[in-house]
Amino acid sequence: MSEVPCAAPGRWPVTDTLNLERQSFLGKDSEIVLDRTRAALVGLGGGGSHIAQQLAHIGVGSFLPIDPDCMEDTNLNRLVGGTMEDVKLGTPKVDIAERLIKAVNPAAEIIKRQASWTEVTAELRDVDVIFACVDSIACRNELEAFARRFLIPLIDIGMDVHESNDGFSISGQVMLSLSGRPCMRCMGLVTDEALAKEAAKYGAAGGRPQVVWPNGTLASIAVGVFMRLTTPWEMRKATPLLLEYDGDLQTVVPSNKLAYLPAHCKHYDSLHEIGDPFWIPDAVAGRIDIGGWNRSLEER
Amino acid sequence: MRTILKLTAALYDDLVQRLREPHEFAAERVAFLKCRPALSARSLLLLAGGVHHVEDGDYVDDPSAGATIGRSALRKALQTAYTEAVSMVHVHLHEHRGRPSFSRTDRRESALFVPDFWNVQPSLPHGAVVFSFDSAVGQCWIPGGAAPAGVEVAIVGSPMRCTWKVARD
Repeated sequence: MSEVPCAAPGRWPVTDTLNLERQSFLGKDSEIVLDRTRAALVGLGGGGSHIAQQLAHIGVGSFLPIDPDCMEDTNLNRLVGGTMEDVKLGTPKVDIAERLIKAVNPAAEIIKRQASWTEVTAELRDVDVIFACVDSIACRNELEAFARRFLIPLIDIGMDVHESNDGFSISGQVMLSLSGRPCMRCMGLVTDEALAKEAAKYGAAGGRPQVVWPNGTLASIAVGVFMRLTTPWEMRKATPLLLEYDGDLQTVVPSNKLAYLPAHCKHYDSLHEIGDPFWIPDAVAGRIDIGGWNRSLEER
Repeated sequence: MRTILKLTAALYDDLVQRLREPHEFAAERVAFLKCRPALSARSLLLLAGGVHHVEDGDYVDDPSAGATIGRSALRKALQTAYTEAVSMVHVHLHEHRGRPSFSRTDRRESALFVPDFWNVQPSLPHGAVVFSFDSAVGQCWIPGGAAPAGVEVAIVGSPMRCTWKVARD
């Protein structure tokens, strides 16, 4: 820990490392656990940017932010850390996330990828948790299948604004997907009908309504779920796997569906649905490249 | 390169429960985790998807060791590795808290029988792990590797438990 001069005369010197004294109730090893946790953020829009900021404050030590997009004027109403200057410059969202995290915790390790998550799967396999902050049902479905294949907990957030005869309604959900436990299909968040409907509308939907405060609420709940997963402050209550947000009533409650879910998932229950689909033994010895990763294992 | 064994909390809980069941004469029980391997950017992952238990009748009455398994037990484990195309990780439990360690017998015997799985699955890594109540250590034999690599363990559930996320005294 190195000391840096304090700008305000007469105050104690401050250090350039995070002081997490106020969250010591999370356990004596919580700082180490969080510092050694690697979190992937897939999608750095309204939800992902909030989560990045909170994880930085909490003391998560390693980040893999992934998003192919750059800042646009329509993002400014909700993307935390984004500025008008970023709109003008078209700053990549991963750069904004990096700036946001480093401003809070300069020591954080950040491996940013301006790409689709499907292009960085070798790195994504290494993380402890994936935050899915994506728009489409198809992407949710694929990301969950990936997470389950490599036994990675996935925390998904989603919000929607529905138009009805009476006006608009805001809703959303936070889901914890753990290998072996009920999945998005078990919970009805992914169905073949919904996937087909989404595919039929592909390219014609335009920008969906998104606003900052439901994003913030859902992101905060997602971070709470993450903290229960990594540094639980009490063990008497199990974390609900699905929490539903009613943006009109401003409430978040465990889903009624939980009472009817099977204890174990039947959609991802085969031994052959985990691990590399095609195991290439020569890759272990570093003799060939896999997954577009152009360095041998020894170099890694 | 790190080697990480990952298993779900449900699988771990079942495994520990079975390993703690008393046996007629063996002081401890052993089992094999059925794993599928994967490579990530930084690690070799052994992803456990099931357990191959050693049947009661396949232990050998040998007071010199906590648990000795006979030829039939090893033959059945080899058969499982062959038919299910899985990496096999031999596991047993030391009933204490804190970081466990392999005994001299564990090390000697693992070095003898774990590479036997290459006779049926030569392209897959195989290993041995000893658990305590709150920690684990292991070794992994990697095809083409000169010496067994150390294994870190992650139990995937709520809460997550990872052997590399604890302060070492």
